[in-house]
Amino acid sequence: MSTTISGSQEEEQEHRQSSQETRRANRIRGLVVWWNRMRVMTIKEYLQLYRDRILIVFMIYAFTLEVFLAGSGVSMQLQNAALQVHDSDHSFASRELIHRFRPPQFRIDGEVLNHGESIDLLDRGEAMMVLDIPPQFQESLLSGDTASVQLQIDTSNPVLGFLATSYGEQIAGQYGLEAATKREGIGVNQQVAPIIQEEHRVWYNANQNDAWFMSVVEMLNVITMFAILLPASAMAREKERGTIEQLMVSPLSTFQMMFPKVLAMTSVILVGTFITIHLILQPCFGVPFRGSLTLFMVVTAVYVFTTAGIGMLLATIARNLAQVGMLTALIFIPMVFLSGAWTPPENMPSVLRALSAVAPLHHYIDASLGIMLKGSGIGLLWDSILAIALFGAAIYGLSMSYFRRQLG
Amino acid sequence: MNIRRVAAVASKEWREIVRDRMFLALTFLVPLSLMLVVGYGLSLDVEDIPLAIVDRDGSALSREYSYRFIDSRYFDFKGYALDRHELPPLLADNKIRAAIIIPENFQKELLGGRPVVVQTIIDGTFPFRAQTTRGYVLAMNTAFTSELLAAFISKKRGIPLAEAARSARPVKLEARYLYNQSMKSDWAIAPRLIMVILMMTPPFYTALGIVREKERGSIYNIYSSTVTRLEFLFGKLIPYVGISSANAAILWLIATQLFGAPFKGSLLFFVPATLLYIICTTGLGLVVSVLVKTQVAAMVVTFIVTVIPSILYSGVIVPISSLSESAQATAHALPAMYYTNIIVGTFMKGVGLRELWPDVLVLALYAIGLMTIGYRMFHKRPST
Repeated sequence: MSTTISGSQEEEQEHRQSSQETRRANRIRGLVVWWNRMRVMTIKEYLQLYRDRILIVFMIYAFTLEVFLAGSGVSMQLQNAALQVHDSDHSFASRELIHRFRPPQFRIDGEVLNHGESIDLLDRGEAMMVLDIPPQFQESLLSGDTASVQLQIDTSNPVLGFLATSYGEQIAGQYGLEAATKREGIGVNQQVAPIIQEEHRVWYNANQNDAWFMSVVEMLNVITMFAILLPASAMAREKERGTIEQLMVSPLSTFQMMFPKVLAMTSVILVGTFITIHLILQPCFGVPFRGSLTLFMVVTAVYVFTTAGIGMLLATIARNLAQVGMLTALIFIPMVFLSGAWTPPENMPSVLRALSAVAPLHHYIDASLGIMLKGSGIGLLWDSILAIALFGAAIYGLSMSYFRRQLG
Repeated sequence: MNIRRVAAVASKEWREIVRDRMFLALTFLVPLSLMLVVGYGLSLDVEDIPLAIVDRDGSALSREYSYRFIDSRYFDFKGYALDRHELPPLLADNKIRAAIIIPENFQKELLGGRPVVVQTIIDGTFPFRAQTTRGYVLAMNTAFTSELLAAFISKKRGIPLAEAARSARPVKLEARYLYNQSMKSDWAIAPRLIMVILMMTPPFYTALGIVREKERGSIYNIYSSTVTRLEFLFGKLIPYVGISSANAAILWLIATQLFGAPFKGSLLFFVPATLLYIICTTGLGLVVSVLVKTQVAAMVVTFIVTVIPSILYSGVIVPISSLSESAQATAHALPAMYYTNIIVGTFMKGVGLRELWPDVLVLALYAIGLMTIGYRMFHKRPST
């Protein structure tokens, strides 16, 4: 009796032990299966990408030559603005003033003889400015009167128009100051006149090297484009070809359907980014990495994941690839134009300012330029990174639930 | 070339577009929303620059000088900093973009007729903004200096201040703004956006339309039919050119009516020129679609050859004249720049064919060239 009892107890214990073991084994087996599924699906995505040779060629182009072109030729500064002169005085003083409009900002193209000719040149876009010096310019200067000079500026591009005006005013102002101090007998050295001398320091990019800014922003744009388009297309392709049905009848979960695509594309984009930094940014333009390159890659990974989430959301909305393309254009182009690179958010209408506060590209540009040029660390950037990550979490939550509803 | 067969292909394409409701809606929604969002959001005016001032003098004159900046619409005064060591963290965290440091004895030196050095620190992360900021500071300093000088001269020579002011500022520069008198950024940007959007969207539609057939395999129906290459391409492109033309009209209305951009030229010239440009960009889409096999590649290639050039090399944000030689060559090799000239000419300058014929000619050559390349490369018998 007692033996049977003890025997059954032993058996029970054994049974309990073995069931614990099987449960553990099952859990491990489950993990192995889960991991294998993820691995196989991710490899499948790599294969599909690799088969599209033309796409690969253009990806390489975008991550190398494209960034190089943007960094090497584009500048936002006033350079060689074409200036025509209409000099009715032909005096020493007028020539002296004309000669102060020098490169790099200005380029004196020639002289016009009358008003009609100058308007014609401006209309044709062959001149950007006409400097008009009246007769008796020198005389009024010497007699202590005010001499007016006219500068006609093509402001069809307001940015340039503004810069040209401000340089022109500086030149005229400086010239006037020198003339006045000379006339007052204060002396040319200006050491005995109440003058505010400006001494400016430009931080983070002391030589105002446009290439640093342009090439980095271009790289971030390329990253953004691929981060939206590649995962979205991978998803939409399954829909268009009907292979999504096969995925649905397979034991894969929604997460397992989506995540390998994001993982594969993110890793490819990160490799591209790494190539851009080491092949273009640093050797060609000497873009400094005053902060940590590792931190930059981590921020990029977070950003690409988030942006891939936007792509996934588009893919759940869209029925086919053409729709994905259109939706990408709808999202990507405003993102690029309103990223804060061209217009500071504080100068945008309030609705758009609110949008750019959550827009991941805006935070990403700030963080990237911060790491590269300012040497910012995690202490300064945590809020930007958090904003990107939160946006990503929200987007993934949204697209997963939408996707489940669609297929459920 | 048989018109009936072209019409058959065109109506088949049209039916396919209309059947995909969302795609059809997006072909109109994308240009419209880009125009509105970017048109309202993108502004190249630099205003409200966040600024801190370090006033180490604390005199009446230094306060007066500070107020010039505080009252200016170009600066957004964030507060006084006690000394320069407070500035670096503020600049690093984008709290301020510029700082002005007024030295000790600012008032004493200036009233005594001696020069002082005011230091400006500018965040150079965004080069264009930094340059503009410096321009503002210089303008402020020049104005303030000439007032100081006038007061100084009037005291020294015992003449009235007005007369002294005249002799302190002997050269007056009158800037006359042509074509865009109020320097409105909207006026400049909205018309140019027409160019950007008509650069990006037509090739997108076209490339997707043709590559979709390839990827789904339905193109083999065309290959095995009696439709010639030319008939197929014509029929295929007509609906897309039609959609883009309708979009161009909508965009023109938004630019002139909503953004109030002036249109001084003639529509008789502008409409055919725009149609030519649309044929150009549609041709670009044709060349892309012949090149690629999948829709993903079609999208990526279209984005790369249209979006980036139309931002960088078209004169929308960056003026052509300030591009480097190589970038200028790139700009001249793309259609965007020529149509930008037409847009600026017809909208702001009120000029027409007489001034713009070279641009029209280049666009025409482009349209013919792209269509020819697309036609030559498109084969009914795919190389396997």
